[in-house]
Amino acid sequence: MWQVYQKELLELMRDKKTLMFVVLLPLLIFPLLFGLMGLVMSNVSRQAEAEEHRYVIIHAERAPAFADALFYHKNFKKVETDLTAAEDLKQAIRDDKFDVAIVIPADFDVSAENLNQSKWQLIHNSSSQLDMISKHFNDLLKTFSKKLQQDKLAGLGVSSDKVAAVLEPVTVERINTAESRENIGEKIGGFIAYLLVPLVLAGASYPAMDIGAGEKERGTLETLLICPISRSAIVLGKFFTVLTTGLVSAALTVISFGGWGYLIGSMAGVDVVAKTMETLGFIDLTLILALLLPLSAIFAALLLSLSIYARSYKEAQNYIGPVTMVVFMPLVVAILPGVELNWKTAMVPVLNVALSIKELVKGTIDYLLLAAVLGSTLLIAAAAIAFCVSWFQKEKVLFR
Amino acid sequence: MIQINQLAKAFAISKNNKLSDSEKNDVRYGGDRFHSVRDVSFSCAAGEVLALLGPNGAGKTTTLRLLSTALQPDSGSVLIEGQDVIKKPVQARKRIGFLSSSTGLYGRLTARENVAYFGRLHGMSENELNHRIDELFTLLQMHEFANRRADNMSTGMKQKTAIARAVVHSPKVVVLDEPTTGLDIMTVQTVLDFIRSLKQQGTPVIFSTHHLDEVAALCDKVVVINAGISAFNGSLEEFRQLAPTADLRQAFLQVLNKEVA
Repeated sequence: MWQVYQKELLELMRDKKTLMFVVLLPLLIFPLLFGLMGLVMSNVSRQAEAEEHRYVIIHAERAPAFADALFYHKNFKKVETDLTAAEDLKQAIRDDKFDVAIVIPADFDVSAENLNQSKWQLIHNSSSQLDMISKHFNDLLKTFSKKLQQDKLAGLGVSSDKVAAVLEPVTVERINTAESRENIGEKIGGFIAYLLVPLVLAGASYPAMDIGAGEKERGTLETLLICPISRSAIVLGKFFTVLTTGLVSAALTVISFGGWGYLIGSMAGVDVVAKTMETLGFIDLTLILALLLPLSAIFAALLLSLSIYARSYKEAQNYIGPVTMVVFMPLVVAILPGVELNWKTAMVPVLNVALSIKELVKGTIDYLLLAAVLGSTLLIAAAAIAFCVSWFQKEKVLFR
Repeated sequence: MIQINQLAKAFAISKNNKLSDSEKNDVRYGGDRFHSVRDVSFSCAAGEVLALLGPNGAGKTTTLRLLSTALQPDSGSVLIEGQDVIKKPVQARKRIGFLSSSTGLYGRLTARENVAYFGRLHGMSENELNHRIDELFTLLQMHEFANRRADNMSTGMKQKTAIARAVVHSPKVVVLDEPTTGLDIMTVQTVLDFIRSLKQQGTPVIFSTHHLDEVAALCDKVVVINAGISAFNGSLEEFRQLAPTADLRQAFLQVLNKEVA
């Protein structure tokens, strides 16, 4: 068996495609992903910060202090218009004549004696995710309103030291029992599994096709079958090869994730990455790897069975493609809100591993459930290996 | 000595497979099974070379696969030096050297690595293996490309490597499936010389071929397989005498026509 294993590994290591899927992809995906994330986020916010919004202000003379603040703000550029009706202003924005219209009522009065609430209109397209117009407008309005409040309260005889108590008689200090790790884990834990599991599958897929269907296609299987070793030994040698490549892929992914995450998080200042890496310890990463071990064995046995059944490399690709889709389904379920690791989900392959990884990243793993996940996955792995071995004994599979 | 007695093997036919008119008339199709080999018997003694002849699809490759233990027969027996190959296939494989119709080499391994891999699978020690590889590489003139990967070899180089791989463990019986097909004249000569050397060493050689000149030059015995049965089984001289002109091609056609009639 180990002769077969050694030879298969030697051959795979000499294959560029295998090296790409098993080594390069896991090593490079995280720097690429993190780098891209950092680049996109910093570019978007830089662009948004520098963006100039063309504005019109109706009845500016009713709030000169606010109009001046707007005029001198670096992100706003005043545009003149004769329009005053809200519908006309909306159409003008749609026609890209300006970006935002601020409508101050004609009867607005800044004097301290006026105690009526005024309703202004902010007309703009808020579909942008960052919506910097609202942000800048709210900042300016907050400053303007604060000054008005103080003036009006002073007019009502409230001294400046009592203003806070009048405006906000109760303040609440919120104490969140969720640690920052838990919050981050909830957000990105599912995503990590979503990335790790397909990489394990990708790391095992190509070698499985090469040493199963590929061996049939090259005509080497027949010569191997007439060597004085049992068919079980042959298929187990092949199985361990596929398992090794899947695991190497997983290990490199975890190492790459840890290493690059730390580097990019600390050096490039990508906050989410840095915070995640601070929370994940060596034991967590080891447990993630331990979860991926039986899962890789299931993948290896399944992929090898399909590949051995196929007459050619191309046919094997046709069988293995849908498996990838099937694996993605529980991964998608794992990132849905409300789906949690419990005794039921712990029994569902792939979903259980994805949810466990999420819990590990959050730091809230129930170790009894983790043991159940490992147990059930190991059991399925053993069944898959047994099936693969018996499958390899059948002439109708080997000589289709 | 290898003895094959009343070997038979059938394969299941897919229900979706529609038979052509000629297939419907073929006696080998019965129910949901295709009887590829129905009744094949012959023997090959030490130092004999036996040619397995037959039209395409006659059942030659299936017969050779049964001899080599790649397939399990439905009935019949294969004995090598009295030992039943079917009952103890793993032990029997140590005694058989088999070359399939495709060279069956690992493209990313060198000639030496390909041969060494199979030597190790046959349980040879590293010393024994190195000595044997040197011996074979000299005999087959392979030293020049010993460290070249199979993907970069010519057809002739591949075939020599495949032959070296088939006999690296010094088998008691050598089975070759069309060993000279697609080779240039020089390589064919090397392969034929190698078969002669096996004969001289007393190793029984069974090989399937379509080249009757090779049969005339090398063989002691001839077996013609047609529609899954051994239609002729005798010495080369007996085979020659089937045709009035002692022409092997005529003799071969005579056997097939007799079968058809």
